[in-house]
Amino acid sequence: MTTTGTRTTAIALHGVHKVFGESSTRVEALAGIDLDVGAGEFVAIMGPSGSGKSTLLHLIGGLDVATSGTVAVGGEDLASLNDDQLTMLRRRKIGFVFQAYNLVSVLTAIENVALPLIIDGIAESRANERAGRALDLVGLGSRPDHRPGEMSGGEQQRIAIARSLVAEPVLLLADEPTGNLDSVTGDQTMRLLRRLVDEEGQTVIMVTHDARDAAMADRIVRLRDGRIVEEQTLPPVKSGADVLASLEGLDAPEDAP
Amino acid sequence: MSVRHAILGLLAEGPLHGYELRSAYENELVPQSRLNAGQVYATLDRLLRDGLVHHEVVAQNDRPDKKVFALTAQGRDELGRWLGHASKVDLDLRNETFLKLMVARRLPEGDWRGVIALERRGAFERLHQATQARARADRDATPLSITLLLDLAVLKLEGLLEWLDRCEEALGKETP
Repeated sequence: MTTTGTRTTAIALHGVHKVFGESSTRVEALAGIDLDVGAGEFVAIMGPSGSGKSTLLHLIGGLDVATSGTVAVGGEDLASLNDDQLTMLRRRKIGFVFQAYNLVSVLTAIENVALPLIIDGIAESRANERAGRALDLVGLGSRPDHRPGEMSGGEQQRIAIARSLVAEPVLLLADEPTGNLDSVTGDQTMRLLRRLVDEEGQTVIMVTHDARDAAMADRIVRLRDGRIVEEQTLPPVKSGADVLASLEGLDAPEDAP
Repeated sequence: MSVRHAILGLLAEGPLHGYELRSAYENELVPQSRLNAGQVYATLDRLLRDGLVHHEVVAQNDRPDKKVFALTAQGRDELGRWLGHASKVDLDLRNETFLKLMVARRLPEGDWRGVIALERRGAFERLHQATQARARADRDATPLSITLLLDLAVLKLEGLLEWLDRCEEALGKETP
């Protein structure tokens, strides 16, 4: 791993291009991306549809390969890995959360969460112990035996988040995580992600078109036409009262005599 | 916002003197707000003149007499009328951002993208503060008056950001 200052770099992209198709159908989805994300940082990627944000997430997650440039996760250059090594990296270092929860309906909550560990060859008792801890982390520790169909959308997304965390990944990738949720459960999901960053030091990169979700991050990266056109680091948060004091319109206006 | 009716509302709970009214307004009714003392007394004078409140002078030991204000029947009717009518919706449509965009799009060197980027940064900074303050408010048992104002701030900022996206799309079509 590389470090900048005291902070470890969780992912580093340099000069990343991604081209789909050839000649007349050639589309440059990513046109030279440089991006470093520090460990424990929460980054939101925004941009209009077709700007390359999902492609970027797929490259970081090792689900697709860059046409040129380097993508390094936890200090490992993805291009230097063979298919098996890439699979291991996805399984052990990266957690994925999608808009669809992708849970197995016949399995209970804890079985769903333990599944990645079982696939990785970890003994069931040990896998269940770790899955139980992951469920505690998302506030569902008391409902390990419920099946997805018996839970609300927000709860199912929390199980999906627990599953993404069970292998203790260096990086959590989220693609429109609140896309299927109403605004209340969407807020709860975002608060959970924020808490994982603040209290567990989890690194999170999230693609979203939702301003409210993006505003929960530490940094917003905006893409257009495959390029980063804007980056904004958001300042530390004040108390609710301080926030209100900074908003206008609360001072009493003069009434007409 | 009508301070006049807010004062009638506070007096509907029971008689208060000027200082108590001001402190109830600032601390309980509209958190983090400021109401200056001159405004409280000027408003009370008008309410007295219009017969909506009356007052009693209470003598105090070692201190100047204080005036305690209470609602009249007419004042109670006025309060009911105010609560029973729809407020004028505060839309703030022709705002500064809109004006900057309209100016920038007409100038040959006008950088409307730059205007959108700046306004968006400002809005995101405040939305970041507001969403997280709102999340904390749920954890810390913050008074309802504060959480509801934070909700309003979040939703307004969200609306502003969505509108900026539309401006960007529309102006991009006009001058690609």
